[in-house]
Order: sequence, then C-alpha cells, then structure tokens
Amino acid sequence: MTCAEQSSGAPLLALHGIGKQFPGVRALDAVDLDLYGGEVHMLVGENGAGKSSLIKILYGAYRADSGRILHQGAPVEVRSPADARRLGIAVIFQEFSLVPFLDIAQNLFLGREPRGRIPGTIDRARLHADARRVLRLLGVDYDTRRLVHTLGVAQQQMVEIAKALSQNARTLVMDEPTAALSENECEHLFKVIRQLKAEGVAIAYISHRLREVFELGDRITVLRDGRLVKTLLPADTNPDELVELMVGRRIDASYAREYCGRPGEVALEVKDLATDTGIKGVDLVVRAGEIVGLSGLVGAGRSEVARAIFGADMPTRGEVRLFGARVAGGPGEARRHGVALIPENRKREGLALILSLRDNLLLAALFRLFPRTWFDSARATRVAQEMIERLRIATPSAARLVRYLSGGNQQKAVLGKWLNAGCRFFILDEPTRGIDVGAKAEIFALIDGLVKQGAAVLMISSELSEIVHVCDRAYVMREGRIAGELGRDSLSEANILRLAMHEA
Amino acid sequence: MHHRVHELARRLAALPGVAYILVLQAIVFGSVAQGFLSPLNLTNIGTQATILLMLALPMTLVILTEGLDISMGAVLTLCSVVLAWVLVHGGGIGLALAASAAMGLAFGVANGTLVSYLGMPPFVATLGTLGMAQGLALAITDGQSIVGISAQIAFMRADVLGIPLVLIIAFVAYFFVHALLYYTRFGTYVFAIGGNREALALAGVHARAWHAGVYVFAGLMVGITGLLLVARTNSGHPTAAFGMEFDAIAAVAVGGTSFERGEGWLFGTLLGVLAVGVMRNGLNVAGVSSSLQVVAIGLLVIAALLIDALRRRA
Repeated sequence: MTCAEQSSGAPLLALHGIGKQFPGVRALDAVDLDLYGGEVHMLVGENGAGKSSLIKILYGAYRADSGRILHQGAPVEVRSPADARRLGIAVIFQEFSLVPFLDIAQNLFLGREPRGRIPGTIDRARLHADARRVLRLLGVDYDTRRLVHTLGVAQQQMVEIAKALSQNARTLVMDEPTAALSENECEHLFKVIRQLKAEGVAIAYISHRLREVFELGDRITVLRDGRLVKTLLPADTNPDELVELMVGRRIDASYAREYCGRPGEVALEVKDLATDTGIKGVDLVVRAGEIVGLSGLVGAGRSEVARAIFGADMPTRGEVRLFGARVAGGPGEARRHGVALIPENRKREGLALILSLRDNLLLAALFRLFPRTWFDSARATRVAQEMIERLRIATPSAARLVRYLSGGNQQKAVLGKWLNAGCRFFILDEPTRGIDVGAKAEIFALIDGLVKQGAAVLMISSELSEIVHVCDRAYVMREGRIAGELGRDSLSEANILRLAMHEA
Repeated sequence: MHHRVHELARRLAALPGVAYILVLQAIVFGSVAQGFLSPLNLTNIGTQATILLMLALPMTLVILTEGLDISMGAVLTLCSVVLAWVLVHGGGIGLALAASAAMGLAFGVANGTLVSYLGMPPFVATLGTLGMAQGLALAITDGQSIVGISAQIAFMRADVLGIPLVLIIAFVAYFFVHALLYYTRFGTYVFAIGGNREALALAGVHARAWHAGVYVFAGLMVGITGLLLVARTNSGHPTAAFGMEFDAIAAVAVGGTSFERGEGWLFGTLLGVLAVGVMRNGLNVAGVSSSLQVVAIGLLVIAALLIDALRRRA
C-alpha cells in the first residue's frame, strides 16, 4: 500500500485528458497524470514519447490544447511559469536555471532577495542566513558565498533543488536528475528525495534508468507516442514488461529494406575510444556495403562518437582507423579518407542556406573538380545537374537557393555535396529529423543505393523503428559506452531499448 | 624558505594580468620618461583618468549584461556641448548640469529601449545613437568650440583638503557603482542578465526593465561626466570625446571582465582604467603622438587578455 492510497482525498495535482498538437505531430493525446503528496511518480518512455511536453504543460511553458489541470481537486489555469510557481510547482530541468557568476545565496533567492534598510539594497546577512538554513534542510554544507560556476554538476543540482524548496514547492518535477551524477552523488540525491517524500512533497521523476524507476518509484506511468499506455505499481511489474510497454511504435513499413549481406572491406574500426565529451570506451566496426545503426537514448553519447570519428573532437584514449589507416589529424584527414559527417542540424552545419543548390552541391568538391584551373561555371553546372538527376532532388533549377527546398531535398543536397567530394563512408546523424514520411522513404532508398555501390554507412537515429528497418546491424549506447551489439536476427525495438536502459 | 618562495610564486600567479602590466608600465615609464613618477604627474594621471573611469564604470555594467555601448564618447561630447551652451546663454551651473544629465539620460533611455525592448543587437543600436549624438553635437556648435565659460566652471579645479575635487568625484563614483553592483538588487540582476537571462525571467523578475535600466544608468553617468569634460577643456568642443568609448571598452577588457556569461569585476575595471591612463600619460610625457598612443592601447588590450588566456591554459 503506497502513501498515495493512504492519503485520502484528491491528489495534490492532477492532469486530465491533456492534449497538445504541434504542426504535423500529435505530441500528447488525452494523457492523465495524478501526483499525490508523499509519492514519487516515475515517468518513463522512449525518446519523443511526450514526457517533456507533459512537463512543459505542467510548468506553464506550453499550453495544452485540451484537458484540464486540478490543484487539490480545484481546476486551475497554468498559463506561465509564474502561475506554476504560485501553485507550488517547481521543475528541475537538465539545463540548470542558475546564474554562473552569482554566489549560491544570490542564486537561491534570485528575484526574492530580502530587502535592506536602504531602498533597492539587499540584506546580505539575512540572505546568507536564509540560504544556509535551506541548504541545511537538504543536509548539505556549502559555503553560500561560493560562485555557482565553481560548483560541480551534482552541487549545482543540489542548489537547484534547494531553490525549488525555498519557494515552498509542494510538487517537484525532476527531468533525468541523475544523468550527470556519479554513483555517490546519486545515492545522496536519493536520500534527499526520500526525505522530501516523507515531508509530503509530490515528486514527478523522469528517468531512463530502470534501476532507479524500481528503487525510487511508488508508481510508474508509461508514455508512448504521446499516449498514456499504463500507470502501474512497481510490485506489479518488472523491467522486461516495462520495456515491452514502451516500444511498439506504429511502424511505417514503406522503408523496410532488404538485407543484402555481403559486407566488404573494413571502413571504420574504433578501439576503446574515449573523449572529454563523455565517451568512455567505445569499440565499433563498419564495413563497406553495410548500414550500421548507432542507437541509444538521447544523451547516451551517439553524436559525440560521430564527432570523434570525424576528428572534430580529439580522443583522450583509444584509436580510430579509417580504411585501415590510423587517423588523428582532425576533420581534414577524415575527409581525405573519404569520410562524410552529415550532422543532425543540417541547416546550421551542413548547408550554406543563402547559396544556390548548385554551389552547395559543389562546395566540398571544388578542389577535386578544379585542381589547377579557374572555376568553370558551365562545368560546375553540368556536374551539379548530374547529381540533381541522380538523387532526384526536386527543384525548379540548379540555381535555386537551398533555403527554399524542402527538408527532404535539403538532406539530399547534403548527401550530394559529399558524393561529389568522392566520399565512401557516410556518418549520418539523425538523417530524417524534420523530414516528412514520404521523403523519409526516399532518403532511405538513397542510402540503400549508396551502400549497394559499396559505400559504408553509420547511421545514428533516435527512432528505434528506423534502426530496426533500415540497418543491417546496430550498436546500442548507454552512458558513453557500447551496451551491446544486435545482429540482424536480434535487432528489435525491445532489444534496443533493453540495452539502452538496463543498468549493468 | 623554499616553501615561502613557492607560496609567493603561487600568489603572484593568482594576480590578474592587468596587475603585471601596471608594474611593468611603472618600471618602463619611470626609467624612460623624465618626471613620470613625480607626485605632480601621478596626480595628473589620476585627474586625467577620471573621465575615463566615469565611462568605464557603467561600461562594465553594460558589458556584464553581454552588451556594449559604443555611443558613450559621442553622447559625452554632446552633453558637454549642451552644458557649455547653457552656460554661454546665461544659465547657471545647476541648470547646465541638469541639461547635460537630461541629455545623457535621454540617450540612455533610447539605447535601453532599442536593446532590451526591441531586441536590437547592442552594437547596432548604440551605433545608431552614436551617429545621432555626433551629428547633434556638430549641429549645435556649428563645428566651433563654445568658449568663454572658464570663470563659471573654475570651481571644478578646486582642491578639498589638498586633494583635487575631480579625484574625489572619481572615488565617490567608484564606491557608488561598487555598492550598486554588489549590494543592490540592480547589481544582482546585472550579473543575472549576462549569466542566465531566462533564469531571471523565470524568477518572476521584469528582466527587460532592469536590462534597459543598465543603459539608462550608463546614459545618466555620461551626462554627469559632461561637467568633468567641460571643466577639463574649459569649453564645449564638438569632437572633445569622440572615440573615448574605445578607451573605456579597452579599460574594461584589460581589467578582466569577459564579454560573455556575466563574468567580471569592478575592481578590475579600476585597474584597467589606471593601465590605460598610465599608458596615455606615459606616452604623452615621452612625447609619443596621440595616433601611436591608440596603437599602444590596442596592444595593451591584447597583452592583458593574452596573459589571462595563457594562465587559464596553464
């Protein structure tokens, strides 16, 4: 029997039938969530299941299209973060809301400074005394005069929690609070959470770590595709069942790909790679003629691996071999080996938006096409035109500015740019982000075509179904490491999620 | 003994780059320029640097908000011209100072509105007001100096207990801005605007109003400084302080205030003002042309930032 059931009456906070529509996406569809005082309510789900949207509605950052919010049984409007604060709701986001060059006390009471005798001044003695009192409630003993930028992540998190408590928060929402914490720091945080629970605070806790979900949670709510799948008690379920509940996104089979299965030479070999950016030992092999997936939850270190392979971040340990040659010379060397990194944010990192499609297609190939001669405009247009036809880029002409092309055609332009540059190993980071369903299938057909011509592809995707349907095999990352490799036979959404979430 | 040497080395290494530069300047100019270290010349440096300090103090606040105010030199010039104009046309010193302050305030309000409420980049917004102030100053004076006011502002040359009044004003200004930055809500919000504007807004503070207030305060300081400028030149000259924002920004940068994240400190600006002031004075005494002085200040900024960057890496 949980605290929630013992405390009779209405929940502290209840969301009923919450719906939220974004252009082209139904982010939330009739979701219910009850938060009781003295209860830790776990929210779990795949990337994009709707957890963040739900939190933002709770906090007044988004407004729901439908549904209502009840505070102690009475309907309330949460139009802004200020409204949420008045209702005692505090959210601790992963990106902190702290000011780096103010001290701990100033941060705790930002906007609520105790007034001094002279108008406009701050009563510093009281400010620091109040700050020490709040910190003591959490059982931490920091010097309140320390500037926040000198604190570690865990300490900043404590300051953030202290800030919420000092505002008399009765409902605390935590978005993956342990993502950046060490084992010891996690233990301390859990102690604090249990203490808050004992004091009757309602806690909503988003987590990707199943161990935490079972260790801390009084109830668990599973979201999938913006819908509430089930709310259950930890005692009535187990990690495997939770994973099964989370996966099962409706699949669009139009881009399912045939497995050709004759991989050639080794294009990429990574051994024990580690970086400052959070990769802690990664081994990978990608061969010509295969599409290898790199999966895992957001923040697991997938993009960081891509950057390190390309030489954009220097490894602190381990080695990267491209077509057998060891590389350590930055992006220039990777390019010479024929590697193309196609970044997630194609508008910012992959294309020159104010240039024409032709110029973008040639951007990386100018030296190859015109090694000694002056720029030959007619030849450039011819080369660009060939690529436009080969990739079937929909455009009125090669002179069209790429900013006016659709997302799918922009992505093709990025691929075309690297094909013109003679690349044979493509690292694709979220290649279908922001691309509509029809164009997705075309992009995948294009990637398939590349591979059939002998290119190697490493594809990063948050969409588990894409990895399953497009890749020959996949590596799954968790917290900066490879948690496991799934071959063609074992490649399924549930298996990916199991590897991505389970504690070692 | 060995341990003490280590301790000393550690403390020296913790000093900001600008401190080394000041010591180096004293050694170089003291040996090269005759009479550089005389009490009279040192007092001179202080009085000459006062106007720079009056600009660099509010400039520090502006830069802490990740902003910039390049209109300061032009607005200061305009204010001094207005002040001189009022004096020449029979107004008292009180009225003249009020007019100068009001003009500075008006430009501060304009800058603050453009930057904070209309979201214009500070460089562009203050470039616009720079042009307006510069043009107005030339229009009011018709390109000529306004003279014949020395009797009315002679009181600014007075000493109080043997200390020049101008120096006393500089001290009062420094401690006032120090108190403002470190002991008031305004100062706290200055750091917060530069460090995490969203957090400030989420804390229910009218971040935009405070942000605009930083430019308004800067304008007011500039307006008051008009009096110091007129007192120094004995006139209202239509290009008297053009380009002085360069020295002010240089002093803030030399002092160790970063242009990002609300990182910085006011005492560093004081040291930076001294470094720039000493450089100007020392080169003057040594007979170096004012064009080359600008080159030297450019080098000074780069040297100070280089020292800090190298030490951060070490």
